[in-house]
Amino acid sequence: MGFEHLANALTLTNLALALFGVVAGTIIGSIPGLSATMAVAVLVPITFAMPPASALILLGAIYTGAIYGGAYSAILLNTPGTPSAIGTTFDGYPMAKRGDGDLAVAIACYASVFGGMIGALALLLLAPPLSSVALAFGPVEYLWLSIFGLSLIASLSTGNLLKGLAGGAFGLLLSCVGVAEISADIRLTFGSSTMIGGIEVVGALIGLYCIPVLIDLVATPERHLKVEEGGRAVRFREGALLAWRSRFNLLRSSIIGTVIGILPGAGGSVAGLVAYSEAKRTAKPGQKFGEGEPDGIMATEAANNATVGGGFIPTLVLGIPGTPPDAVILGALLVQGVRTGPTLFDSGGSIVYTFIFGLFIATILMLPTGLLIGRYAYKTIVTIPKTILVPSVGFMTIIGTFAIRNSISDVIIMIVLGTVGWVLSRFGFAASPIVLGLILGPIAEQGFVQAWIIGEATGNLTGMFFGRPISLAIIAFTVLSLVYPVIQGRRAKKLLEMQAGSNAKTDD
Amino acid sequence: MPRQTIETSSRSGGKDVGTLIVASLFIGLGLITLHDVTTYSDTDSVVFPTFVAYAMIFCSVLVIIASWLRPSRDNGFGNGDWWRRLLLVATMLVACAIMPVGGFLPATAIAFAGGLIAARHEGWDARSAVVFSASGIAIMAGFYALFRFALGVPLP
Repeated sequence: MGFEHLANALTLTNLALALFGVVAGTIIGSIPGLSATMAVAVLVPITFAMPPASALILLGAIYTGAIYGGAYSAILLNTPGTPSAIGTTFDGYPMAKRGDGDLAVAIACYASVFGGMIGALALLLLAPPLSSVALAFGPVEYLWLSIFGLSLIASLSTGNLLKGLAGGAFGLLLSCVGVAEISADIRLTFGSSTMIGGIEVVGALIGLYCIPVLIDLVATPERHLKVEEGGRAVRFREGALLAWRSRFNLLRSSIIGTVIGILPGAGGSVAGLVAYSEAKRTAKPGQKFGEGEPDGIMATEAANNATVGGGFIPTLVLGIPGTPPDAVILGALLVQGVRTGPTLFDSGGSIVYTFIFGLFIATILMLPTGLLIGRYAYKTIVTIPKTILVPSVGFMTIIGTFAIRNSISDVIIMIVLGTVGWVLSRFGFAASPIVLGLILGPIAEQGFVQAWIIGEATGNLTGMFFGRPISLAIIAFTVLSLVYPVIQGRRAKKLLEMQAGSNAKTDD
Repeated sequence: MPRQTIETSSRSGGKDVGTLIVASLFIGLGLITLHDVTTYSDTDSVVFPTFVAYAMIFCSVLVIIASWLRPSRDNGFGNGDWWRRLLLVATMLVACAIMPVGGFLPATAIAFAGGLIAARHEGWDARSAVVFSASGIAIMAGFYALFRFALGVPLP
């Protein structure tokens, strides 16, 4: 790595490509149904005629922009533009509803830039040693990682844990519908050809988060979002101050995002949820996660953008894509004649380091472009009449869901699941545990079945599940994340009682 | 069209009937799953759904007990016009049914019109009808062009 690689990344062409990539990625990512994978896949053909480093810079910029863009619709419409932004809806939409959508958009931008920088820094400095982490993860570690993700249900179901657990189980069951990944049995379709392809996660997300909002919006004449008087711009300074105060949360979430990004197949959605869970577990007194807490947005957005740099580590060093968009980028690199692997950093070092510096530049460019686009996105959503907003969003949910697999069945499932989600939410069964189950179900099942087969074959089933150091660390972390809030709550209660007792004595 | 605002609640005699029904449906779904897994040929496909089905039945039974002992006062469908909710969902489903034969744009135009009518609480006049219809056509055409031609999605 040297100055010449930075200079290569800073050519006018590469700067223009990074800017175009970030803007295009942000816009595509903000449309519900168009994921970062699709944004990258759609724009891959235009990179074939480019030099490899420029192609990588463009694809990296599109990817990072798309991950951030998903936050807009998550905050303003309660619909994650990409699956990575699921956690952003938990606090983003409540903030928008109470009139702080502009602040939420600014916070998301700062956190995304911070997370993106940490991920890119890890890629620059620690790529070869960190890639060995990916190789140390076997099926059982994925199983425990998914169970750790599922433990988030406990924190997402405040006051309604049983309903959260039942909802989570419902989500896990939905993830079983269709052809089983390992044995190819057709499960829970009841003879319906509509169900045979299974429940597509992005379509299900759109349905469960967006359709209930639309059903509620049409029912009453109230405005969709609270509008503050005075026509404020996006609150850049206030957002920056909040981000600075939560710098530890940002750093921790970015590290979580980088590490989870390294694990093949885990991706931004798992990273965002785990970071959210950690932010909630370590919440200060008075912080109300799920009710519009800025730290929740920061955790998710920092983590999901950190997966960009993290995901490139196994992609470039081992040739194993860390996240789904990385798989598309890997394919584009093969078309370019670039062979990824441990030798790439030596033989193709020029390309790699130019790309990494390009990723830094794209992430920095995300700050002004993200805040600018965020400002217009916020103003548009807030001022647009509900009469046109509802059918437009409804139309986008249909076209976005259809585009994922070109399937009308997916659209029907999206609408039905959304309506069911609305009914369930009316009786205290929140959408988030269902979504968690749906996303983590396939990872958990695959990890469980593979670990079981290996354990049986080696004659050490218990050791397979409970005898590996990384598994034990994740199990300990899961238990800690479940128990710690209870201990913290009791300690706070005891402190309050002691305080009340001493106050009573003083009064006497 | 006259406004029909209905207060709908699932509570009956202090019991949270809605929660009881949902939890019972979950138990039913769990039992159906346990029956369905008996038809699978590979045991690898059976273990996970079986475990999940038992977990769902167990949690739902606990939900029923908890809801019976301490019914929630906040649950229910709340205020709002039912015909608007139904119109929105029904037109979206009708659009899906028509799409294979009628094409994407005509089918989604029905869903769009349904959404427009459902979301408009201020009443209609000639001007608003023209403005919103024109806006709708522009939005649909714009997104159709983006997906069909720029992104290459084979819309029917």
